[in-house]
Order: sequence, then C-alpha cells, then structure tokens
Amino acid sequence: MSLLKIEQLRKSFLAPEGDSLCVVDVENFTLNEAEFCGMRGESGSGKTTFLHLIAGILSPDRGQIQINGKNVSQMTDSSRDLLRARLIGYVFQSFNLLQGFTCLENLQLTMSFADHSNQSDPYELLDRVGLGKRINYYPHQLSIGQQQRVALARALINQPKLVLADEPTGNLDPVNAAKSMELLCELCRESKTTLFLVSHDEKVIQNFDRQENWEEVSKSNCVKGEV
Amino acid sequence: MSSIQALFALCTRGVRQYAFSSLVASLAIAMSGGLFLGTWKIKEGAQNAFTLSSSGFDAVLGARGSKLQLILNAIFHLEASPGNLEWEQYEIIKNTPGVKEAYPLAVGDNFMGYRLVGTEPSLFDEHEWKKGVKYQIEKGGRLFSSNAKEALVGNFVANKLGLKVGDRFQPYHGLTFREESKHDEVYVIVGILSATGTPADKVIWVPIKGIQFMEGHASEYSTSVSAVLVKLRGAAGFALEMKYNKQGNQATFAWPIAATLAEFFDRLTWFEKVLEWIAYLVGSVACLIILSVLRNSMNERKREFAILRSLGASRYFITNVVLGQSLLISLVGALGSFLVYLIMNGVASHFIREQTGVLLDPFSFDLTFVYVFSVIVLLGLISGIPPAWMAYRVDISKNLRPSS
Repeated sequence: MSLLKIEQLRKSFLAPEGDSLCVVDVENFTLNEAEFCGMRGESGSGKTTFLHLIAGILSPDRGQIQINGKNVSQMTDSSRDLLRARLIGYVFQSFNLLQGFTCLENLQLTMSFADHSNQSDPYELLDRVGLGKRINYYPHQLSIGQQQRVALARALINQPKLVLADEPTGNLDPVNAAKSMELLCELCRESKTTLFLVSHDEKVIQNFDRQENWEEVSKSNCVKGEV
Repeated sequence: MSSIQALFALCTRGVRQYAFSSLVASLAIAMSGGLFLGTWKIKEGAQNAFTLSSSGFDAVLGARGSKLQLILNAIFHLEASPGNLEWEQYEIIKNTPGVKEAYPLAVGDNFMGYRLVGTEPSLFDEHEWKKGVKYQIEKGGRLFSSNAKEALVGNFVANKLGLKVGDRFQPYHGLTFREESKHDEVYVIVGILSATGTPADKVIWVPIKGIQFMEGHASEYSTSVSAVLVKLRGAAGFALEMKYNKQGNQATFAWPIAATLAEFFDRLTWFEKVLEWIAYLVGSVACLIILSVLRNSMNERKREFAILRSLGASRYFITNVVLGQSLLISLVGALGSFLVYLIMNGVASHFIREQTGVLLDPFSFDLTFVYVFSVIVLLGLISGIPPAWMAYRVDISKNLRPSS
C-alpha cells in the first residue's frame, strides 16, 4: 500500500534575473509503507526542495502530494504542521539540533508538537543510539557523529510513518557515515518506517533496495548548482 | 513535556540568551511602574494619613491668617504659629454651645529640635484621638500636673532621644534647636505617651503654664495661647465659621480640617503630574527596549524557529514563544515595580514620620496595584507584537538553509 503518492508536482522560484526557474517537476512518484528508497542527485538540483514539498514546508505551484491518504497540498497551515509532527521525521545534513537544549530536551520538544500516545520513550531511544549516558549533554558537548545520532533519535521519537533524510551523512567522515546509515536503516526497519533518503553520494544510495535518480524523477529545467 | 512546558522552556531560553538586555528592559519597566505607583499611592496614602491624623479634632481656632498654616501648626506641629490668641478667646469658644471639647495649645520652645507643646492635662484624660480610643501612658509613667514643670514625652521623641521617666531636661527657646538659647528651667519626665501614629508622638507635652510662664518669654505670653483644638457637636461648624471668618476679624476658624488638607494636597498636583509624565516616558523607553531586545533576538532565532517549525511547531506556537518572552520580561518588570514602589514608599513613609509623626501604611493593598500590574503586562505584550509577527512569518525553507 502506498504511503506517499505524488502527481504532477511542480515548484518554481523567481530567479534574480526575473525568470521563473522550475526546480521540481515530478509527474508521478510513490513510496510504499516500510519501503526504503534512496535517491541520488547532484548538489543544487532541487532534492531538498522536493523533500520540503513532501514535508509541507513549502507549498507547490501545482500538483498533489498525498501522505497516508491525506492531500498535503490542500491542507491548512496548521494541519500540515500537525501532519509533519506526527507522520514525518526529518533528518538534516547539518542536523539542526536546538543548541540551547540538551539531547533529551531536543527529543522532548519534538514530542510536544505531536502530542499523541504513540511516541517512543526518549530515554530508551537515546540509549538505543548509544547516548544513554549523555542525555543531559548539549549538542556542542557532543562529537559530530553523536550529534547525528541525536538527530536520528529525534526524527524517530514520534514514531513517524515516513522519515525524510536529506544528505544525512554529508557532514560525517566515512566511518561515521557508514555507522550512521546502518543505525538509521536499523531503526526504520525495526519500526517499519518508510525511509526516503536523498544524497549526492553514490555509496550511500547503493545499499538501498530501491534506488532512484533525481534527474529521471524530476524533469525540471534547473541548472546544477543554482538551487 | 507538554506544549505549555515546551513554550515555557523556549521563552525562558530566549530570556536567558539575552539576559542582560532583558534585565535592562525589566529594570526600565520596574522604574517606570514603581515611579507611577509611587507618585499615585504615596500622595493618596499621605493625604489619607494626614486626614486621619487630625487627632480627633474637627477644627482649630487661631490667630488671623492662613487656615492651612493654623492646621499644620496646631495639629501636625509643623511650621511656625501664625500668631497668638488671647486666653479669653479660648474661654469663649470653650463655652460656646455646639463645642464639645476645646484645648488650648502654646508653642515656642523645643528640646533637641522636638517641640514642646503646652496644653491642659484634660486633653489626655478626656479626649478620644480616635473614635473610642484615648491617649495611653506607658507603664511606670503618669500624666503631668498642670502646675508643675513636668513633661509627657511623645513615643517617637522618647525613642529618638532615648528619654525615660525620671530624666530631666532644659528646654531651648524657639521652634528650632539652637544651643545658645537654653532656658534655665528644668523639666522632669513623668510619662511616655504610647505610640499613636499621629503627630502627638512627635512632641513633648508640658503644662500650658510652663510655656506661658517660661523664663525669657515676653509677658504677653502668659495670657495668650497659640491655638485652640476644637471638637464640635452637630453642625456647629457652619455657625462658628461664619462668626470667626466672615463676621469677625480677631481669629481664624480652620474648619473642616479634611477639606483644608485636601486643598493643600491639590497644590501638589503639578509635582505629581511631572512625576507621572516621567513615569510615562520611562515606560515608553521600556517598551522600546523590549521591542529592540526581541527584534534583535529574532534575527538570531529565525533559524531556531525554522527548525521548530520543521519539527511540527505551528506558527501560533512560535508567535507565542516571542509573546511569552515579552510577557516574562514585563512580568519581572511588573514585580520589580512593586519593589521599587515599596522602597519609594518606605523612604517617603520614613521621611513623613520623621517630619510629622504621621504613620503611612506602605503595605496597604488596593485595586490600583492590580490595574497597574495589568497595564504593565499588557504594554509588555503589545511591545512583543511586532517581533512576534516577524516570528509568525518566518520562512522555514529559507532559514533551514538547504544544503543540496
């Protein structure tokens, strides 16, 4: 059964020259429940914009995005916020942890937005990612690899149906990148969460059962490196 | 963590992050609110306390002149006496129908700067300075006798000068203390008056003859009084005012005391207005500081808000974080304003007590505090609206800095 269904999705931005620059132009795209999909694409080709559209962070110019049967593009702002909190976990390249809050508080704040009963225990989850003894550490007191693991735990704390990972290994060394990927896949597999990862790194994508190429998925007129 | 707890955590973090600027904003609010409350309440408190401190008298009869000066001199023991009255005038008013009580006063001497007030002992025996309450003398003491060089010391004076029963002192001539003007007479303290919180605490009471016949005083002193304190029965005040103020030219009948005092406080309105405008000015600056603190913090917190939004926080939640931050600053400021007010009021009360013996109640509570508190908090919230609007409009995608 498909969890994510995208049809005729299009998003353009106004270029500094005044021209309209189409960044995302996707005819059809689907993701099934518990599916793992890796999408390769060059940096600046519009992958992040695509993820932002799926997460409801951006609104499309046209087209439909359905998550779990709900049309995201027709939702009100607050419904999209709630959907993002409850159904979507987001892993950023730069982790985007809240610097003034401890590991535990980063997770607890995320939980407060979803406010539903199907949430993981933050202590257990931090323990699961190997940070059980550092729950009260602030992000700046952790190594880059540890920060990434907090970000993974945060993305999964609300037991989302879909995890969007945007270049999750972009800031990590090869050893930490491999460990991090392994952990992410393991956590998603355990919770039967759909994982959609975008990266420019071929090595990251090659371990996925389903592999896509952004240039084939989107027929945008975007010039590489401009977005 | 509930939504409310998350909101509180984010608000307090915002305040902590900009602790110094937030503190400056809170202090400015505290100064403004305190000044406002102070000017308002101290004047009101002083007016009430002065009106209540008329020591149970309705009027003062004295030499021709200002009613206010007469009241300040005879009731509050402030300023100089406008002149003297013949003893006969005291006898006349005492025996006037409608006059319930009349006590003569004579002033002109001091001890270490505290006035000696001569009167009849019956003032302490018969008069109720507050409804149903007569003057009390502390244990071990007694009332002075009308023909002896004895003194009953007001409670405040006794504490200030460390005087006790049995102590002896020599008065000084005049209402202000000058070392070279010491009289030869020696008075013995026979009693200490229990505290009343009225001007009676601030003087040394002696028999009226003591002042009238004090060595060195002019001979006409012996047959005159400085003023007469009057308690009326029924509506006699109108007739007496007509008799003394409109038809006669020998004396002034200061009645009613409360109305004359109200006129006096009305004269201070300009000063109150100046302070009020200063408070408005400081308040406006405080609001601008809040606005500036929050606006500056917004530039740095946009990324944090974008992250929160990407995690599912609603626009309203983010707006509330900023409003909550301004609420916290203004709450601290509002509480601080009560502290500033209490300090101001404490200083003013001390000063008034020192000068007049009138006791103000700095801790009396009324609805004004609630209004001022609400207005401060409301103004703080209003100051937070522009930055909150900025937070509401934070572009998530732009501030998350897409990296691919």
